Amino acid sequence: MTGDYRRFALTRAGQAIVVVLLAYVFTFLIISVLPGDAITNTLRDPQHGLSEEDIQRIVAFYGLDQPVIVQLLLSLGRFLTGELGFSLQSNLPVSQIVGDALPSTLTLATTALLIAIIFAVAIAYGAQYLPGKWAAIVRSIPSFFLSVPNFVIGLILIEFFAFRLHSFTTTDPHSPVATLFAAITLAIPVSAPLAEVLIASLDHESRQEYALVARSRGLSEARLFAKHLVKPSALPSVAMVALIVGELLGGSVITETIFGRDGIGTVVQKAVTGEDQPVLQAVVSLSAVVFVAVNLVADLASPLLDPRVKLRETKLKEKVGA
Amino acid sequence: MSADLLTVEGLSIAYGPTVVVHDVSFSLAQGESLALIGESGSGKSTIAKAILRLLPHGEATATGRVALNGRDVLGLPEKQFRPLRGRELGFIPQDPASALNPVRTIGAQAHEAAALLGETDPAVRRARILDVLEQVGLPDPVRVYDSYPHQLSGGMLQRVLIALTVLPRPSLIVADEPTSALDVTVQKLILDMLTELRQELDISLLLITHDLAIAAERADSLVVLKDGAVQESGSSRDIFTAPQTDYARSLQADVPALHPDRYRAQRTVFAAEPTHDVVFRPAAVASRSTGLQIDVQGVTKRFSAGGKDVLACDGVSFAVERGRTHALVGESGSGKTTAVRLLLGLEQPDSGRISVAGQSTSGRSRAEVRDIRRHLQLVYQNPFTSLDPTWRVGRIVREPLDQFGVGTKPERARRVEEALASVGLPTDVASRRPAHLSGGQRQRVAIARALVVRPDVVVLDEPTSALDVSVQAGILELLSKLQRELGLTYLFVSHDLALVRQVADTVSVLRKGQVVEAGAVEDIFSRPQHTYTRALLDSIPLATPAAALGGIAAEAKQPAKATA
Repeated sequence: MTGDYRRFALTRAGQAIVVVLLAYVFTFLIISVLPGDAITNTLRDPQHGLSEEDIQRIVAFYGLDQPVIVQLLLSLGRFLTGELGFSLQSNLPVSQIVGDALPSTLTLATTALLIAIIFAVAIAYGAQYLPGKWAAIVRSIPSFFLSVPNFVIGLILIEFFAFRLHSFTTTDPHSPVATLFAAITLAIPVSAPLAEVLIASLDHESRQEYALVARSRGLSEARLFAKHLVKPSALPSVAMVALIVGELLGGSVITETIFGRDGIGTVVQKAVTGEDQPVLQAVVSLSAVVFVAVNLVADLASPLLDPRVKLRETKLKEKVGA
Repeated sequence: MSADLLTVEGLSIAYGPTVVVHDVSFSLAQGESLALIGESGSGKSTIAKAILRLLPHGEATATGRVALNGRDVLGLPEKQFRPLRGRELGFIPQDPASALNPVRTIGAQAHEAAALLGETDPAVRRARILDVLEQVGLPDPVRVYDSYPHQLSGGMLQRVLIALTVLPRPSLIVADEPTSALDVTVQKLILDMLTELRQELDISLLLITHDLAIAAERADSLVVLKDGAVQESGSSRDIFTAPQTDYARSLQADVPALHPDRYRAQRTVFAAEPTHDVVFRPAAVASRSTGLQIDVQGVTKRFSAGGKDVLACDGVSFAVERGRTHALVGESGSGKTTAVRLLLGLEQPDSGRISVAGQSTSGRSRAEVRDIRRHLQLVYQNPFTSLDPTWRVGRIVREPLDQFGVGTKPERARRVEEALASVGLPTDVASRRPAHLSGGQRQRVAIARALVVRPDVVVLDEPTSALDVSVQAGILELLSKLQRELGLTYLFVSHDLALVRQVADTVSVLRKGQVVEAGAVEDIFSRPQHTYTRALLDSIPLATPAAALGGIAAEAKQPAKATA
């Protein structure tokens, strides 16, 4: 690895950390200006049965009797050391709440991402190589996918596969088959922008002269696609994949609700209705970290995938001439 | 004559309802070479693509017969045609820079060609690839093998492409303008190498080109195309020495190398006395003579790129008298573009002195430089990119007048009209946009834009390199006429020595930022002193018309010897 790349990677990683911190501060400020007083609303809710002593301890822990800026610094300091605090609703550590919900959501999101990529590649391949009329139909799939709301797809899949075909039962939403259908629900709208980017860049690449020359060398269409076109077409898609991770995080809230899954979505929903500030703060920050990390990976990968991105390389032609 | 390797009979090609190739027939014998020649839009590349079956699916339809070794390949299903690709039928594309996959190494792509030999052992394949890379004259095959296309120069890439094409030993190579994107000296090396390989490996060549000189030099027979139809066909020698059709005659007349004095008569009217020996003044002697319109003295410019210093101009000096044409000749990277930018005041020299029409341009404020620029106008290389596509021609030509605040509105309109008339364009062009004009018309608009402020000096930066030969002749004729009528001084920047001989009085040959040779055009052409100048002269196809006309048959029969 060259020194240039290391410098580039370190700069990008530094920028990513700054973005995460800013996201944390921003979330904190947004939550703190929300109407409603966390202390009276939540802590003094007789339903929680907290003693005056407990309340005092929590107030002191979060600095709730102090100015917002002090609360922010306290909270930020703990965040940096990995300490996420306690839920105001259940008194459980936030890390435990999030930790319990995370695997389910991660499974769902990762499966959905894979399915979305498979869908997108299949659509793009079809758009490129199916005969005229069929290609036109395939090309219209992304806009169709994009215009059908996620919950409609979910409900149709449940109606058809759970109630009619009995492929899975809604009472066990975490079974592999149920997870698969939840992931398909989540993947369909997310695959649309990815497919569009892929179709556009495949169109572009297949018109390049090198594709023609490779064909003149006797490559079959399938080999041309796999060997020559996929990689350069994937370059813009890598950035797109990083962006759709954001949509996966957002979409999982709805999908989890429809399929009755426990996950980050459910946690968020409860935290919002219950004004559970530490939980909300943790989940939003976690999403920011995931989003930024995925984009960082995409950024770092692009010079490795595309040799032209590397900067300031001594060109061979300067050394040996024409 | 051996049996025909390639036979094309009644080939017609249509894009939808538009027929672009009409009933074209020709044949090519084993081991022979044939050139399809014509201007852009003549259908030559379309025919090549039809033979290679690389026309876009569903968009183009080809009818007629294309037989390779007696077997009709036009109607063959792709599955049966594919084994012929590469093995029987090789393809060398026009622009080497875009003909290789930018994100895969040369080696990875070369393996595809090597695989056509049926060799399955990657180590053997690799050895074969390195051999062929060496064979095409690449100095460090291993390094090239591991390189990505963007790490190699255009000339090296074209060598790579030729290597990959000859590797599977096809019987026919279709080369589509294989050198038009390259520098002239590189162009000659590549063509020599291709000719030699062809001889060695007994490969037939179908050469697509717009350059009659190259076609005549490199091919046994010619097919002249215009608007998708064959105008004339026969042996190179016959067509070249005695063209039968008007079109072939005009193509022949437009080859700069064959008619070095074509524009001389019109040009020298202005300076009645032929004073060639004193026209060019060596920079050291050049004085503040009122006759000097451009005076560049010992100009040096250094750029630093990627921590490395590049001396783009190293003590460059030249001077041009009023009403004369001076040419700056050199290949890419020779510093000619930097010299022009310095002259135009777009860059400031590190040292040295530049004056235009007696006024020094260096060390002046922006406003003053702007004022000087009124006397100094530029015609750019590519008229397809130098005109704002959203503006109408009238506004494009008027822009310099608006810029310098010349005259009243009706006066400006009148001057725009005059300028358009002087470049031979009808008045109604003013209301059109560049997209509706041909390349030649666009370049005329660019010339009108330069002339509208009535400059003394016009810098012509490769003004015809983006144009067809016949269009080029029209533009050069116009420039000569304008020079005579308006007493313009030209600085003509070009890489094409044949062209320079036609239009320039004096010439400076640039190499790596230095003037290696300078003098009157006649002297440079008849007695070149520097080896680089000789190399440039050698690279002109058919540099000596006598040899071309008399000895072409001999040359065509023994190209390997002629170019060894």
